[in-house]
This record gives sequence, structure tokens and C-alpha cells, in this order.
Amino acid sequence: MKNKSNSSINVCLAQTDPKTGDLKKNIESHIEIISSAKNKGAEIVIFPELSLTGYFLKDSVYDLGVEINSDESAVFEPLYKISEELNIAVIAGFVEKDADFNFYNSTFCVYNGKLINVHRKVYLPTYGMFEELRYFKPGDGFGVFDLNGVKISVLTCEDAWHLSSSYIAVNKGAHIIIINSASPARGITGGLDKFNSTKMWEELLSVIAFYYKSYVIYANRVGFEDGIGFSGGSCVINPSGNIESKMAYIETGEIIAEVNLNLLNNERFKTPLLRDENLNLTLKELENIINNNKVK
Amino acid sequence: MKHKIELPKIDELNFPLIYKHLGNFIKSEVLKAGVNRVVLGLSGGIDSAASCFLAASALGKDNVTALIMPYESSSKSSMEDALKVVNTLGIKYYVLDISKQINEYFKDKTEVSGNVVAAGDDIALKLRKGNKMARERMSILYDYSYKLNSLVLGTSNKSELLLGYGTLYGDMASALNPIGDIYKTQIYQLAEHLGIPKTIINKPPSADLWEGQSDESELGFTYKTADDIMYLLIDKMYKPEVVISLGFEENTVNKIYERIKKSQYKRRMPLIAKVSERTINIDFRYLRDWA
Repeated sequence: MKNKSNSSINVCLAQTDPKTGDLKKNIESHIEIISSAKNKGAEIVIFPELSLTGYFLKDSVYDLGVEINSDESAVFEPLYKISEELNIAVIAGFVEKDADFNFYNSTFCVYNGKLINVHRKVYLPTYGMFEELRYFKPGDGFGVFDLNGVKISVLTCEDAWHLSSSYIAVNKGAHIIIINSASPARGITGGLDKFNSTKMWEELLSVIAFYYKSYVIYANRVGFEDGIGFSGGSCVINPSGNIESKMAYIETGEIIAEVNLNLLNNERFKTPLLRDENLNLTLKELENIINNNKVK
Repeated sequence: MKHKIELPKIDELNFPLIYKHLGNFIKSEVLKAGVNRVVLGLSGGIDSAASCFLAASALGKDNVTALIMPYESSSKSSMEDALKVVNTLGIKYYVLDISKQINEYFKDKTEVSGNVVAAGDDIALKLRKGNKMARERMSILYDYSYKLNSLVLGTSNKSELLLGYGTLYGDMASALNPIGDIYKTQIYQLAEHLGIPKTIINKPPSADLWEGQSDESELGFTYKTADDIMYLLIDKMYKPEVVISLGFEENTVNKIYERIKKSQYKRRMPLIAKVSERTINIDFRYLRDWA
């Protein structure tokens, strides 16, 4: 992979239906998809949230946790290996366990046989049908990592619903915001050819891309877990806020999309919202808010 | 009336996605159980017809078997309509008359049920018989489930599940139910798009447990009214007083809310007394799709 900061990068969105609780099977299917994506010219393959384990895990979180910086990470060796052999980056979701036996809803990026980033989901939905905080510990930040000159930030599902997450990511330098997700399809409306939840997502993604002047890549899963179906519709949104590539709503599949960083350059020049962002003002206001909220 | 938030319609724009979604649900959940077939009870009504149409398109017509299980008082048109469904879809079916075993069971029991008297007038006996029929049909369905290596497909809609208008371990029993989150009013809209025969769509809803039975006169309100109210109470999580303030009749709102609360037990697994440190469904928590 060449240095990409002035050109384009081919990403593969893998809209998968993980086998719940079966790490081994899911690793196998990831490998198949990575190989075929490479043949189609992909330089990076992006899988949905918890793509290696499934989403509504309940007590099986306990059985699936992997300590990524220990011998346990050997289970992911096939993914490390293929990323090296094919010179391809892989972003996939897994249950992470730390040395103190805390569990996280995490996403790794593996490239050239090496672990280059782990994002621990910060905002863990625990309302309605969701119970993530029952099992997972929240992550403590939104990082940006470098992939051959391209600055990437990973947000996981609910993270993106808090607009502060993408605000932090772009101000830290992210060019591309990758949002991996396991979003259940819910809500119908007469006259609308998609689920209500999908409509909200598409509006949100467009807002993030346009107002934070970045590429947004959304990788959402499909399939059913105990009657709950996931809505798919993985897509790439450019910094003009328009959907460039999009997958069908409730089907498995892969697409290769070109992310053109020249367009990002163009958009950021024409509408320099990020250049003009007043971080000091935001900091001052946040300090005021926090101080005023303190119990006196 | 000033209420503006309405029960969403299933129309030509959202139908394709809902249809695919429900088909994916059936396929995915049936295959995970290690089989590829379903069996369901077909009454001649719109709900079981809808489940049947969805299953036939999801699994293929050879993988769906319908059981038509009339009782001697079941209306002739129910049988004709059930046959219309199987013939339209070209699926396998069996007709199993349950009169004999029901009559045999109730032979000496006509006067047991309460204030005495003539069996035909006794509402409690009518209900007991209706429940017994629903459970007899369930029992046959589960026998065929084993015999045909098929899962039992549910046919209860969201309205009757919420109102508790069904028999526990009778028509409410199934392995999976594609229409349990769809209100009766929406089932009619779904049925139009599925191409279910018009006679089935146009007849008044009835459990057909006795002659002339009508859901809506038994419930005391129409499904349309109940569905509009339940959409606000349940889907939108509005308190009854808020629903009333939106222009719905107080008595009806309260009656429906009470019915929903009182029938909650029907929608849950039996209670288990906690003794150990890890108890089934309390703190032993896995998906049904665990394996």
C-alpha cells in the first residue's frame, strides 16, 4: 500500500450475518471475504460491530472475551496472517477482555500482520432492547490512527449517536470516520421504503460527513438474533453529505468503494468549518458546564 | 378527535422491505433450529393465511404443511377459505376433525362449570370448550411438528397477543411467529399485498370457536380503535391519560389498558421460584439461538 494521503483508497464494506457465539466459524468467513475483497482491489476491509462474535451475546460474553495483548490473541492469528500475506487492513469487531477481567465491545484494525488500533466502544446503550452496560465496560476515548497517511477514527454504533464523538475524531485529525454497527431494524412508516431506524441513521451519517467534512463509512450487519433483525444498508458518504455507495438493506454482501481524498481536500478548502472551529471556546464552555453541574 | 399520531400503514412503499424482512426471519430462525420446514394450523382466517403465505414464500411451498382442524360447529366458510389458501399456494395439508375428542371429553361435564344449567347457554362452558379446542389443535400441531420434522409456525397477531385474546398454550403456542409484532389493522394491509383471497380479507374477524362468534362484539370495541390506542400505549409508550387527552374515549382506553396488564402472564414463561445462585431465565441468560 502506497502513501494515500493525496489520492484514493479502495475500501470493502462487508455486510455480514455473524454466527452468534461461534468465533471459529466467523473467523473463517472473515478470511473468505478478505481474500475475495483483495481480488477485487480492496486495500481495507471493514466488518460490522462484534462481527467475530454476534451481538446479543448475554452471558456468553464471558465465554468469548479475548485478551488481545496476550497469548489468547493467537485465536486471531489467521486474520493477522492474511493481512500480512495480502497486504490488506482488516477492521473487525470482537469481545475484548483486559488483564483485570473487564470486557469491552471492541474493534481492532490489523494490518501487515500487526495490530495497529483497538477502539473500545464508549457509549454502551442500555435501554429498550439493549443491555450492553450490563456486560461491557465503556472505552475511554476516541482515537485516530494512521493507515499509510490516511487518518482514521473508528466509532461503534451508539458512539456515533453522540455527536461529540465525531467532533472529537475530526478535530483530532480524522479524514475517515468508520462507523461499525449492529443496528436492529425497527419502526415502519407509511410511504417510507426503509425502516425508521435506517432513516435516522442515514440522516445522522450525512450530517457527520457534511458538517465535520469527512468521509463516513458505515458498516452495519444483517441477519437475525432471537427475532431481532439487523438492517444492513452499509454505505459510504462523502464530505458533501451524499451517499456514494450503498448496500441493500437486509442482505449479506460486499461492495468495494473508492474513497477519494482529493474530494476531502476540495471540500475542506471550500467550506473550512474545521479550520474555523474554536476549540478553546468549546473547552471554556465545557468547563463552565461541568463546573455549574457540580453539586455545590 | 384531535389525535394525529396514527398507526403506521403497510403500503406499497414499505411492503417489499417488510415482506423480505419477515421472510428472512422465518428462513433464518427455522434453519438455525436445524430443520427447513414448518407446520401451522390454518383456520380460514386472515392471520393464519398471512403466516402461511409468508412461510410458503420464505421456505418454498414443499416445506410448509397446513393442518385444518375443524370442530363440528366450525363454519363451512372457514373450511372453504382454508382450502382456498392451500390451493392458492399449492402446499400440503391435512384435515383433522377434532369434534370426537372434544365431545368425548365434555360428555359428562356439562353441568360442572358454575351456575348450573343448559350447556348451550353456559358462557363458562363455551369458553372452556373453546380453550380445549385451541389446546387440542396445539397438541396435534406439536405431534405433527415431530412427525414432519417441522417447527410450529405461530399465527397470533400483535393485537390479540396484547389483549390476551387467545388461549395460553393453545393458539398462542408456537416455535416462531412472523406476525406477532403486527397489529390486526396492519394484517389487513399486509394481506392485500400478499395476495390473500378477498373472501378471507373481507369477512368479519372471528375465532370461530362457536357459531356466530365475533371478536369485535366479544371485545366490545373494534380492532381499528384498539389498534390506534395500543399503538400509542405500547409502541409510543404514552400513559393512558395522555392517550385520552389526545381525544380517545376514556372508557375504551382504560378497558384496553387493563386487558393488556391483566393478560401479561400469557406473554411470559411460567414463574420459577429462585433457589439457586443461577436460575433459568432470571440470571441464566442466553439467547434461544445460543447453540
